[in-house]
Amino acid sequence: MNGVTPSDLALLLPELILIGAALVLLLTAHRTRTTSVGTTVTLLAAIAALWAAGRVSPDASASGFGGMLAADGYARYFRVLFCAGLAVVALLSERRIRETGIPRPEYHTLLLLASVGMMLAASSADLLPLYLALELITICAYVLVGIRVERPLANEAAIKYFLSGSFASALMLLGISLTYGLTGTTEFAGIASSLAADGDGASPLLICGLGLICGGLAFKVAAVPFHAWAPDTYQGASAPVAAFLAAGSKAAGLAALCRVVVAAFGPQAEVFSTMLAALAALSVVLGSLVAAAQTDMKRLLAYSSIAHAGFALMGIAAGTAEGAAATMTYAGFYVFMTLGAFGMVIALGERGERVDGYRGLAAQRPVAAAGMLLFLLSLTGIPLTAGFTAKFSVIQSAIHAGRTELAVLAVLSSVVAAFVYMRVAVGMYMKEPCEPEPARIAPTVCLALVFAALVTLAGGLFPGILDSWTVAP
Amino acid sequence: MPLLSTLILLPLAGALAICLLPSERLARWIALAATVATAVAAAPLVTDFDKSSAALQFTENHEWIPSWGIDYGLGVDGISVPFILLAALLSILCVSVSWTAIRTRVREFHAALLVAETAMIGLFCASNLFLFFVFWELIVVPLFLLIGIWGGPGRVYASVKFLLFTLAGSVLMLVGMITLLDVFGTLDFRALAAGHEQLSGTQQAWLFGAFLAAFAVKVPMFPVHTWLPNAHTEAPTAGSVILAGILLKMGGYGFLRLSLPVLPEGTELFTRPMLVASVVAIVYGAYVTLVQTDIKRLIAYSSVSHMGFVTLGIFTLTSRGVEGGILQMINHGILSGALFLCVGMIYERTHTREIADYGGVVRKAPIYCTLLALFCLATTGMPGLNSFVGEVLIISGAFEIDGLLGALAIWGVVLGTIYLVWLFYRVVMGELNPTLEGKSLELGAREVATLLPLAIAAIALGLYPECVLSYLRAPVAELLSSGVGP
Repeated sequence: MNGVTPSDLALLLPELILIGAALVLLLTAHRTRTTSVGTTVTLLAAIAALWAAGRVSPDASASGFGGMLAADGYARYFRVLFCAGLAVVALLSERRIRETGIPRPEYHTLLLLASVGMMLAASSADLLPLYLALELITICAYVLVGIRVERPLANEAAIKYFLSGSFASALMLLGISLTYGLTGTTEFAGIASSLAADGDGASPLLICGLGLICGGLAFKVAAVPFHAWAPDTYQGASAPVAAFLAAGSKAAGLAALCRVVVAAFGPQAEVFSTMLAALAALSVVLGSLVAAAQTDMKRLLAYSSIAHAGFALMGIAAGTAEGAAATMTYAGFYVFMTLGAFGMVIALGERGERVDGYRGLAAQRPVAAAGMLLFLLSLTGIPLTAGFTAKFSVIQSAIHAGRTELAVLAVLSSVVAAFVYMRVAVGMYMKEPCEPEPARIAPTVCLALVFAALVTLAGGLFPGILDSWTVAP
Repeated sequence: MPLLSTLILLPLAGALAICLLPSERLARWIALAATVATAVAAAPLVTDFDKSSAALQFTENHEWIPSWGIDYGLGVDGISVPFILLAALLSILCVSVSWTAIRTRVREFHAALLVAETAMIGLFCASNLFLFFVFWELIVVPLFLLIGIWGGPGRVYASVKFLLFTLAGSVLMLVGMITLLDVFGTLDFRALAAGHEQLSGTQQAWLFGAFLAAFAVKVPMFPVHTWLPNAHTEAPTAGSVILAGILLKMGGYGFLRLSLPVLPEGTELFTRPMLVASVVAIVYGAYVTLVQTDIKRLIAYSSVSHMGFVTLGIFTLTSRGVEGGILQMINHGILSGALFLCVGMIYERTHTREIADYGGVVRKAPIYCTLLALFCLATTGMPGLNSFVGEVLIISGAFEIDGLLGALAIWGVVLGTIYLVWLFYRVVMGELNPTLEGKSLELGAREVATLLPLAIAAIALGLYPECVLSYLRAPVAELLSSGVGP
């Protein structure tokens, strides 16, 4: 492999912007501890990186670092998505981290670096940078989850996340080494050609290795049976961090999984699509059913995010370019409706973290309740919201791939999920308030919520809005 | 501005205005203005509509989602026009009847009502399945809120049950719709009907089942009718009127728009079970109605029985049966709407729905009782009033298929007469119930004006049913000539 050339670095411009911002924050940490500089810098960096990532043409096929990173339309979509998500999370965090005494520069540095990891995960065309990118996300996330060291619940969440996360990383590494041993390459294209050369007789060991890689990624996505960490972690983490994990980290896992399955495992699509369909089916059913029993809002959203992971996997399970595009659409809209729902949790403070804290909200804060209703309807998948567009896309790809039974199972589970979301709506609209009015919502949180609501509405009213963006790998 | 889009957007604009303006008093007036304006704007559907043609009229088509091959397509034929007019009329009456009945969260109430009107009218205007589905789902949200916020004591249970039943049905329709899109590449009703040979018999049977799940819940057919008594009983009067008047018709309309023309083989396969389920609904529904002690619940259960007539008529697949079924949907919309309005008006004064708490109401409220008598008699199928024609058409259609079906349907009519006359007897006749002493029960001018249009419609359709039937003739003939039918 040749050395790093300037053109390689040019490809990494968005990531470099974020890294630069992170370094600035770290170096000036002792001065900016008590100001909002962190939020401002993160926001500006996210917007600059978003612009830099969006500048790439959607049908570009540039690759850099000896083919290890691809800066194609697929990477572009997810990089823009992660930058936008980062900006929203930074806005959502502002008030909360100030009030809870979280060290601000460090918090934002970790957010920035984790976002770099997400962007790299979406662009990786080789198992090794993919692994490194995922580790970058996870290590930042471990610290973010436990950043409130004085709270035992946060420590517990961080340890649980760390233990199961390390296990998943180990599985994935084992898978990578098996794959490397059998094919002699870690590049996606190389693995694909070696699988194609084997034809039907691909070695079971190789399938096993690739399966382990999928398992490691399924952990990131929090698909059943790799989901157990999510509810505990989201519950223990502070709400903005939970939002960041539920939206960004999950979407990064989907981005990586989708590229691996399409670009590397393509020739063995049959095997992997069956496996992913099973993961999808388990996730939608279990996520929806268990969510119905939750009383903690973050746990409820955690199980709901597991069900949504199942829906998103349906697109990948179709094993087609159309399916990959459907998963991309799903991931994109899912990020904003989840950030919106978590944003409401953050906006309402302690009250927002309990399901019964929403009782009577419509009488006290009609606009906030209407916003929450919009996000809940979108998560349910009611038409004219982005959630419906997302569901429609993945169900369409599943049916097109002949998996009608999976589609039927998924939509029936979504009725159970509807019950979950509507329980919150019932509390907001049909119960008497039994708590004092929540404090005024911080303007930064408002801004983030309005943005998320606009995306949610636009995605529902104009379902084709992302079509020019969703370029399958 | 094109006509149908105007009809859809006018109520929505009203809802937005209500949301933006903080005044509760103004909210009622805006809602009234929006509903009246919608009804007035619908006038060209009567004056400029060509009844001799089965083609879609007032069509609009704009590209919407090119990657899915879906357009924003609107258009009406003779089957949809009566429903649109009914929806526009009932919406005005809903605003009117809520004028004093709704006192809390007035703005939200009227906004929800107007969104519901948008969804109702939009559904009957849609010329493709996707838009149909969008409005089909959209109406659930305002009704969920209407029942759950402004309903009776059991409102939360009723609203959640309503929501889950309808969603469970409609998600299967979603799968069916996407399957159709996968096969045809379009969801335009006409294109689907024209190309129905592309679907194999098995496919049609499965698809029929998927759409049946959605339509049967909304009609509601036996045995998925159990949400209806709860929802209708607990809903505020306006909610009951929308549920009974329009929402129940969406299922029947779905059969006519989709199941019959697009899935003729599936329909043939399911005809027998559908006829049997209809007759069971008629007779079982009527018997259950007989034993009710709550007026609103009684009318709610009677809807199960009456909607059984509608599906019976549709699935006779004879022109008389289908025309009768559609006419009966309109009739039921008028009459059950009127009966729920009557119940709501007296409830506002007495705050009880138990039949046992009434008696001798005629002594205090002669005008109310006259109107109630008219609506009860019309519902029983009294000749000269509107239900008579529909029931005769349906039953004669049923006799063409099978004498037993016709006989059972007649038995349903007999039971219907019994429970309604008995209800009337217990509420209106006899000595005045002592608990009603000292209460003023007579209707005010606003309430009489609310009921009068429905009374006129009941008489007009009874004496001259041709005013609806003339709309139906051409599209029903076309429906039965292509694919389904004897």
